[in-house]
Amino acid sequence: MIAPEIVLPRSVALLSVERLVLDNGLPVHIIEDAEQSVARLSLVWAAGSAVQSKPFVASTVLNLLAEGTERFSAREIAERLDFVGSYFDATLDRDYAVMTFCWLEKFFAPTLEVVSEVVLRPTFPADELDIYARKRMEWLALERAKPSTRAREAFAAALFGAEHPYGVSSPQGEYLNLTRDDLVGFHRQFYGADNCFAVCSIGGDAAGRKAILDMLAQIPLLARDKISPPCEGGVPQSGEGVDSASRSQLSTLNSQFSTVHVPFPDAVQSSIRIGRVLFPRQHPDFVGMQVVATVLGGYFGSRLVRNLREQRGYTYGVMSAMVNLRAAGYLAVSTEVAAEATEDAVAQIFAEMERLRTELVPQDELENVRRSMLGEVMRILDGPFGVVDVQIESMQLAMEGGDGGQEYINNFIRRVEAITPEDVHRLARQYLRREDFTVVVVGDTKYSVSV
Amino acid sequence: MITYSEHTLSNGLRVVAHRARGSEMAAVNVLYCVGARNESPEKTGFAHLFEHLMFRGTRDVPDFDAPLHKACAENNAFTNNDYTDYYITLPKENLATALWLEGDRMSGLDITPGKLEAEKRVVIEEYNQRYKNQPYGDMWPLFKALAYKVHPYRWPTIGLTPDHVAGATLGDVEAFYRRFYNPANAVLSVAADVVPEEIFGLAERYFGTVERGRKPDEEIPQEPPQIEARRLEVERDVPSTVIMIAFPTGPRTCREHYAGDILSDILAGGSSSRLYQNLVKNRPLFSSVNAYITGDIDPGLFVVSGNLLAGVSEDDAEQALWGELRAVQNSVIGDRELEKVGNKFEAETVFGELNVMNKAMNLGYYSLLGNPELINGEVAVYRSFTPDELRASASKMFAPEKSNTLIYRSR
Repeated sequence: MIAPEIVLPRSVALLSVERLVLDNGLPVHIIEDAEQSVARLSLVWAAGSAVQSKPFVASTVLNLLAEGTERFSAREIAERLDFVGSYFDATLDRDYAVMTFCWLEKFFAPTLEVVSEVVLRPTFPADELDIYARKRMEWLALERAKPSTRAREAFAAALFGAEHPYGVSSPQGEYLNLTRDDLVGFHRQFYGADNCFAVCSIGGDAAGRKAILDMLAQIPLLARDKISPPCEGGVPQSGEGVDSASRSQLSTLNSQFSTVHVPFPDAVQSSIRIGRVLFPRQHPDFVGMQVVATVLGGYFGSRLVRNLREQRGYTYGVMSAMVNLRAAGYLAVSTEVAAEATEDAVAQIFAEMERLRTELVPQDELENVRRSMLGEVMRILDGPFGVVDVQIESMQLAMEGGDGGQEYINNFIRRVEAITPEDVHRLARQYLRREDFTVVVVGDTKYSVSV
Repeated sequence: MITYSEHTLSNGLRVVAHRARGSEMAAVNVLYCVGARNESPEKTGFAHLFEHLMFRGTRDVPDFDAPLHKACAENNAFTNNDYTDYYITLPKENLATALWLEGDRMSGLDITPGKLEAEKRVVIEEYNQRYKNQPYGDMWPLFKALAYKVHPYRWPTIGLTPDHVAGATLGDVEAFYRRFYNPANAVLSVAADVVPEEIFGLAERYFGTVERGRKPDEEIPQEPPQIEARRLEVERDVPSTVIMIAFPTGPRTCREHYAGDILSDILAGGSSSRLYQNLVKNRPLFSSVNAYITGDIDPGLFVVSGNLLAGVSEDDAEQALWGELRAVQNSVIGDRELEKVGNKFEAETVFGELNVMNKAMNLGYYSLLGNPELINGEVAVYRSFTPDELRASASKMFAPEKSNTLIYRSR
């Protein structure tokens, strides 16, 4: 059978996005499609764990938003949302807190009634905090029994320093030290309209749209003495909302590169993390390094997958990626390998990096990488909700001082397309030097890694 | 509502096509009706190992992934108890490339001893990653072996032991391929902004020459009715004790299955559910609770489980779970609670069909069940239950002598 001809889409068709700034300064992006019967609203606050001054406050505030408001108890909120099949999802990383609500358009009114309470009038009841803290402590203990969790925490500490806001992890017992006042204070300090943006994907109902915007316009400004004027487009400026102490901490990075072996007696596999701090996503080399990371281990045909999985059978999976943080950004390789293969797996990972530094990537391989990155963007955009994720990314980029405009995604694609084998070579020579990398292994110390 | 058209090729391949208007992407799903339940007890884990081998190249296309990368595609697969599913998503202009590759690997697979050995090692590392190097890793395998004594559902898809995977031979691979991987035992489903006639034409072009083969007609050993409660207690180095209780339910398409699904939702669907409100919030015994049905094609399980909070007595916790199981038998489930469950299933169905991949995958699955119309009709089935029917189902299902209890104790 003759292979069909392959067609390459050169740009991605986007639904048009309406950009508004509400009276309270809150930027809102709206994607409307009269055909759709579902809706999604995401609110993003620059209120991640890096800005907290007490362990677990940031995640607890986010997770308790829907556990009691002025009008509704936790149970009523759950009951009202479950009754109409609406749901929410709260995610927290080092920089951002994200709350996403989804509903069937026909149940818009009962859902928004609850959403507006959760967004505008959370009360953080002390008894809900007690239950949450106990539950969450057990959950974290369970997570930390996994080698992969231990590796993630040890890796962050090794990259940034164990005291750094991006590197710290705290004992689970700290959950019990949280008070209601901590939550109320953090909420007041970080959950203002001037530290937030919203994105929604909705059907064509004008009344629904107005109700959402009216609700968002009621989000108050941050409680603080002076408010710096919002920059163009109403997007908060980089660093705004981060108090000056943690901001200065964010900019002093640990520059000690090390090898850390966390003992996990009798582990049949070793969790390996290898990486280095580089730069955040507005840096001119960020997209180029995303391409380098994809060549190395970012897709199923990558060099690390072929080497460690297909040729050597050391692992079920290995991947590498550029990870963005607001004040940093790092390259990470992660894999779980057979314990006895630990040392060679680490050696192979560095050998693949070295090969990128010494040999030009073949055009054909680079083209596959570009296309797999393009395909990934198109897949995210398929369906009514993925476009919200892309908008969130572009608005975060704007918040961090980058170009998050209308052409964000097509600009990204054009920049990926423009990367040449020589670019990959230059970036690899500059950023993939062995001596700049940190290695973390969680596993049986019988299989130590010599460096 | 998913519109679709069906067509069967002369070699027996069922094709289901959905026109996904406005989408830039196409999804191609090929489902083979073979899973862990078709394995022999001496060679468990084979269906899953075979799934891995399907990515190792054919006589005509030695590198399966290369053309897919060129076509901006992503692809993967999974194996469960009942079937093996392969899916590709890519820009719709390249739909033919996906169909060409799937048609090609339905008959041209080329496995060498070297490829088999490398892939065995990968699968054994998958076993280690999922089951050995994880807290609670052996909990589910122990639980299945407790709840099933005869049916192949008694072993996990990954296999009873890595030794079975390690012992697989090239002869096993060839026999399995011939027996299960043929058009009469597969469903091709496609979701794309392309008219169904064109999809059927492409299916004919790329799958039409595959030899018909024979639909395997073997008997799967069925589980005899359970007449006695079973219990297993183990101790492990884990942070908290888990209690799991399972009861046998009916096969996937019978009313008992749906009743079980509704009851599991009343008990543990969302944070307004009974188990969460009563046993996590009001009387804090557990840090998390769950109830679900396994949803297999042959009679499956209804499972309730919970992670105990530190300091809570096992007896109290176990009795509390039973208390909730009795409550759905003894008191009427209210209309509002039923309506809530109906709304939830409706919402989950809609949210589960938002992109071409979900649509193609769901169409393939419902075709496997023998009734693609269920893709649009299942919500009505859920809404057709009365409180009386649910109470009767609960009483039949949650009989103590049909229980299987695992205490997975923190040391």
